[in-house]
Amino acid sequence: MKACIIYSSVTGNTYQLAQEVYDTLSASIEDLDYVHVDEIDYDQLLNYDFIAIGTYTWGSGDLPMEMEPLFDWFEEQSPKHLRTAVFGTGDSFYPNFCGAVDLFRDMLYVKTTLTVTLKVELMPQSHDIKKVPTFCDRLMPEPVYS
Amino acid sequence: MSFTDTPLSRIKLLNPTYPNKATGVINGQNSGLLNWNDIAYPQMYDLYQTLLSNFWKAQEINMQDDIKQWDYLTETEKDVFLRINTQLASLDSLQTPTMTQVMDYVTDSSFKAIFAVISQQEAVHNESYSYILSSLVPLAEQNKRFDQAKEDPVVQKRNQLILDHYEAFREEPTPQKLYELAINSINLEGIYFYAGFAFFYHLARQQKMLKTSTMISYIQRDEMQHAYFISQFIRILLTENPELNTDENIQYAYDTIDRAVQLEKEWANYILEDIEGIDLEEFHHYVEYLANKRFRQIGLDNYYPERDNPMAWIHVFSDEMMNETKSDFFEQKSRTYTKVSSSNGFDEL
Ligand SMILES: Cc1cc2nc3c(=O)[nH]c(=O)nc-3n(C[C@H](O)[C@H](O)[C@H](O)COP(=O)(O)O)c2cc1C
Repeated sequence: MKACIIYSSVTGNTYQLAQEVYDTLSASIEDLDYVHVDEIDYDQLLNYDFIAIGTYTWGSGDLPMEMEPLFDWFEEQSPKHLRTAVFGTGDSFYPNFCGAVDLFRDMLYVKTTLTVTLKVELMPQSHDIKKVPTFCDRLMPEPVYS
Repeated sequence: MSFTDTPLSRIKLLNPTYPNKATGVINGQNSGLLNWNDIAYPQMYDLYQTLLSNFWKAQEINMQDDIKQWDYLTETEKDVFLRINTQLASLDSLQTPTMTQVMDYVTDSSFKAIFAVISQQEAVHNESYSYILSSLVPLAEQNKRFDQAKEDPVVQKRNQLILDHYEAFREEPTPQKLYELAINSINLEGIYFYAGFAFFYHLARQQKMLKTSTMISYIQRDEMQHAYFISQFIRILLTENPELNTDENIQYAYDTIDRAVQLEKEWANYILEDIEGIDLEEFHHYVEYLANKRFRQIGLDNYYPERDNPMAWIHVFSDEMMNETKSDFFEQKSRTYTKVSSSNGFDEL
């Protein structure tokens, strides 16, 4: 099985969450890539069995600018066989908490096999970290972590 | 004298021999010319643009509805409304000149530009409180209320924490004092506004004074982004200057924010006491939840017990509600997907 975690982060919150996802997944997936969204090799993306996307939210519930090309790629490719998951961090004082996760969710549900989403407020806390194994299990065809 | 206690020199306006891209947020070399395409922290350009796209002014909000409703508020509601209004105005009045002052000592021109925008926004906030007041009560009453805010011992006590540190930097602008100023700026923008916000959103929950709370929403959004910026500023300051990144300074952050939390609780007990529907104990938990967020934003651990937001209704109104009339620079592409949820066969954790 071949999997990839793609993330974007400015102040480190989403990065931290991505690290947790990485640490958990790496226990059972040997072929696991972990890339910043700016470093994606788009030619390789279709070779993955599953992809987890990590994004913060910007503007008013918008995707960060650097996430746009990835979003567009899914729209164009429609890789329906691909299992996907989205996680993100945001701030619930904004009207669209983790709006970027919702934008990905609604699109990935149509274009891919969306398995799970996870929203976290700012830097992950212990109750968030506890959800990561379940998140990873949903992404895999068979549960292994929880 | 150690580095952290050596006063920063005000930098010359232009240092043509220095690079355009700053070598440090303080004590760095920077020509003073700002080319946004060549800055040390590229994410600052994004933030700068976002701050600008938030531009709003009080006069865009028509107060007619609130003017009509004002007469129907209880005497207690009116009194608390006016006291909170002037109290918030006095906080913003502090922030405008302080941000401008910090600008003089920051050597990265992209940060200077953002401090300038923040200072401008604080001026707008300040004006918006005056605008609200002028719609509702005559000048004599307004002046009385401002005097009341100045003389109120509880207000004085909480402002003193901030004032002492802002004043200390003014007198002796050292890196240490700048760090302390920044932590207190988090207190001001990230903690001290919230008892006031709670009151206005509480009125809004009852469909009262919605124009005022629309303005409060604009203000809260700006303040959230200021706190986001100042948090990054603190982290960059400490990363670039390991002399500042000491156990004592970390403890300072915990102690000082905790002090602000206690003062905010005290203020809430006093100002919100007679407001039905706001549970003060719940608000105390809210302030701790809020402060935990601030700690995590500056890269520290939660200081209070981890808990869910106990007052989730204290948040910025949606765009539709704020009736956004201005064309948005970052106009969102229209997305054509239907909202889906876990009933569609995936999990939402
Ligand atoms: C300008 C700006 C706009 C934001 N808009 C939203 C938003 O609409 N919804 C949300 O949940 N969070 C919003 N946030 C909060 C960030 O998404 C949050 O701080 C996130 O954890 C940052 O992730 P990072 O540390 O990985 O960069 C916004 C932050 C900023 C500075």
